[in-house]
Amino acid sequence: MNLYSYILRRLLYVIPVLLGVCFLIFIIFNVVAPDPAYLLLGRHATIEQIATLHRELGIDRPFWEQYLAVVKTAFTFDFGYSWSSKQQIWEMIKAGAGPSLSITVPLFVITNTIAISIALLVSFYRGKFIDKAVLLISIAMMSISSLAYILFGQYFFAYKLGLFEISGYEPGFPHFIPYVILPIILYVAISWGPDTRFYRSVILDEVYQDYVRTARAKGVGELSIMFKHVLKNAMIPILTYVIIQIPFLILGLLLAEAFFSIPGLGGITIKAINTSDFPVIKAMTILSAVGFIIFGVITDVLYTVVDPRMRLK
Amino acid sequence: MTTATETMNLTVPKKQKASKSLWQHAFSTIVKDKLACTALIVVAIYFFIALMTFLGIIANDWGATVGPSYAEPSADYIFGTDIFGRSVFLKMIKGAETAVAIGLVTSAISLVIGTTLGALAGYFGGLIDELVVWFYTTFSSIPFIMLLVAIAFIMGKGTSTVFISLGVTSWVGLCRIVRGEVMKHKDREYSQAASALGAGHLRKIFKHILPNISHVLIINFSLTFESAIKAEVILSYLGLGVQGRPSWGTMIDDSKLELARGVWWQLGAATLAMFIIVLAFNILGDALRDALDPKLKGK
Amino acid sequence: MSEKILEVKDLVVEFKTDRGTIKAVNGVNFDVFKGKTVGIVGESGSGKSVSALAIMGLIPNPPGRVASGQILFNGRSLVNMEASEMRKIRGNKIAMIFQEPMTSLNPVFTIGNQIEEVIELHQPQLSRKEREAKAVDMLRLVGIPSPEKRVKEYPHQLSGGMRQRVMIAIALSCEPDVLIADEPTTALDVTIQAQILELMKKLQKELGMGIILITHDLGVVAETCDTVAVMYCGQIVETADVKTLFNHPRHPYTKGLMDSIPSFDSTTGHKKDRLKTIEGMVPSLFDLPAGCNFQDRCVNVTEQCRGSLGEPMLREMELPQHRAACFNPLKEFEGKGL
Repeated sequence: MNLYSYILRRLLYVIPVLLGVCFLIFIIFNVVAPDPAYLLLGRHATIEQIATLHRELGIDRPFWEQYLAVVKTAFTFDFGYSWSSKQQIWEMIKAGAGPSLSITVPLFVITNTIAISIALLVSFYRGKFIDKAVLLISIAMMSISSLAYILFGQYFFAYKLGLFEISGYEPGFPHFIPYVILPIILYVAISWGPDTRFYRSVILDEVYQDYVRTARAKGVGELSIMFKHVLKNAMIPILTYVIIQIPFLILGLLLAEAFFSIPGLGGITIKAINTSDFPVIKAMTILSAVGFIIFGVITDVLYTVVDPRMRLK
Repeated sequence: MTTATETMNLTVPKKQKASKSLWQHAFSTIVKDKLACTALIVVAIYFFIALMTFLGIIANDWGATVGPSYAEPSADYIFGTDIFGRSVFLKMIKGAETAVAIGLVTSAISLVIGTTLGALAGYFGGLIDELVVWFYTTFSSIPFIMLLVAIAFIMGKGTSTVFISLGVTSWVGLCRIVRGEVMKHKDREYSQAASALGAGHLRKIFKHILPNISHVLIINFSLTFESAIKAEVILSYLGLGVQGRPSWGTMIDDSKLELARGVWWQLGAATLAMFIIVLAFNILGDALRDALDPKLKGK
Repeated sequence: MSEKILEVKDLVVEFKTDRGTIKAVNGVNFDVFKGKTVGIVGESGSGKSVSALAIMGLIPNPPGRVASGQILFNGRSLVNMEASEMRKIRGNKIAMIFQEPMTSLNPVFTIGNQIEEVIELHQPQLSRKEREAKAVDMLRLVGIPSPEKRVKEYPHQLSGGMRQRVMIAIALSCEPDVLIADEPTTALDVTIQAQILELMKKLQKELGMGIILITHDLGVVAETCDTVAVMYCGQIVETADVKTLFNHPRHPYTKGLMDSIPSFDSTTGHKKDRLKTIEGMVPSLFDLPAGCNFQDRCVNVTEQCRGSLGEPMLREMELPQHRAACFNPLKEFEGKGL
């Protein structure tokens, strides 16, 4: 298949997937969800009040119109207003993105750097004690609930020892730094295990390939084999794994932001769930799905750049 | 053509024998692996405890007040007591039942959806395949946690919410693998031989192809099981967890208000109970994959 | 007799497994001479590839190790050689090509890149330009058409035969003294096989290297080798020059291997005999019998093969340089040629 027609097909495939995602969201929020009238108006609402509300929310219209409205939202990001704070949701997202990114970007860089370095190291010493130890530690660390990490970490390091801020946030660099250090450390501990395991298995898949034996037979040193031959091949799955994390950076950390009172999108989502704020949850769902789809396409297109087998075929 | 069919027929019993010896091989590998063996025993113990509490033989009186509110762990109260003076130890034991139930139901739901869709797509190909692939691509385009939260949120509080929301969000990975495996297997000689013998589609899928990919289902089972137990904690934190009986998720969630008073034992007990079974499933999953996945053999 | 470049003496290679330690290679001796080809023949698991990897210093350790014996290259011992020293020999003085041309090249580097890498390693004095030119020369040497274009291509753009030619180009770019070819043609079509063997013979003449050819195919041996060693269960059971071995095989196993090749009488156009197979299976290395390893499959087996005389050792037969490890060797003219 020609490369350009492949990329074009991949881009076109976004359309049915996006329509499907919108359909799923429509089913969840417009068809299955209970009538919000009771929630918003209380139990003493009159029939007129309910009808007015239905009209305002557009849920008195036929289903296909409601579905088109969801599709439209996916393109315009015009999510409407929050029920609890009455703010425009798009404005809330813009305000929350900064605090979220101030945690997730350093977290993303640190975790992946550590995980890839350790994966390379243990693949180099595969089967030896250090490899087995790292594997066991990473499995053990990923067997602990993330909520337990946060609860314990906040209690022990911030509250008991007073090493970090317990909670709160100040916008602007460098003021936010003291507030984000502990959440970042905790999340590095949470995601280090699965990431290292993934990178290790990807690298080990390559280490046993025949071309590695060829390189050895040529007299290439072990370090050069690892960093040149193996890493360039392993880069393909690694890149996929890394890039697909990017859209989630903006959404922040669901649990940690609420616990550390960081006004990011993760915290907003939790608050929306606690207050049954439908439009906000719906907006976050659409936003994350759209981000996932866009970055999925980017990954696939980058694939063709990194992997020569995809080119000119 | 007749001779070709005849020789193919001969391969049917042979293949079944081969898949049996794969299991035998896997079994002997796991028995030799002390770590995996321990993990298997741990899982068995948890299942046994869950069964015992389900039958009301042990921890039936978890709701009873046994001492003062928030008593520290001591000889009298192994893991201390909670706000109502109930034994944290008994809650932890009773929580095993909830955890095993969640793990089993979630795995069962995801197994049914994932295997059915995956087998249909892989076996029939064409338009059905396109549709299934589109469906799971769509499903997996909404991040797991958002989809889980959205479904659980819409369904409202309750134990069945936990089951269903976890079940319907965790089938995609299995579906993808089953589809790929069925595609590979449907063109193998033994399944062609089965059609030469006049086996219908369903018979071919269920009697000939699925038994040959059962290792995939088992590996996936241990994966789904442990991630369901972990996800339950998050649902509990969001107020969407199980109601009316103790679960490790609600115990961990409760402790967010207790920690400031120095009450750490509820968090400790639930985390420990969960850590051990999730670790056991992780180790078991790894061992099963090493033992059963022929692709990885020889590494 | 030409100059001896490689000498393998009493080589023992052990592997540790869950079920105990096995000797994949057990007391193997052979020599490689300049410009000559040694064939090592045997079924899979007979230890022929492990011997080759031992010479290259590429036995995966753990679980494997060279337990005893000597490998002398131009008089220098390769066993326990410093890793950095060994790397200077690998790909430079002793090169190796493998069975799987489809997967033996790195998919994400160009052909040129992969040839230049070995030149850069072993001939650092050459400039980048010279290396590039040499890569093109090497591709031309191994008979790849329009090499200037091919150097910029990736392995997946080449056929299996072409990739094996590239492997040969990589192996020969530093003009090694010894080339080890491990089943170089097994994965290729028959017509391509002949081309590759032809190419190796031609390049051997031009460069004067010694070749160790590992194969399970006696036909390939008959065409290309000067001397042959037949391996069974990690040991050499018979060795001779190629003509002697084919005309007068003395070990029943060698005879059995020859009888399992389909032969064809060119004068009458009929199949000569019904095809024979060797009965039974290769014994497990975990569970070797006392005495001769071949006893359970042998047609000439007697009581003394079952351990009363110990293991059979390689001993001289009537013809010079012909040795076989058998208590009851076949009679001088019992075996017949191809």
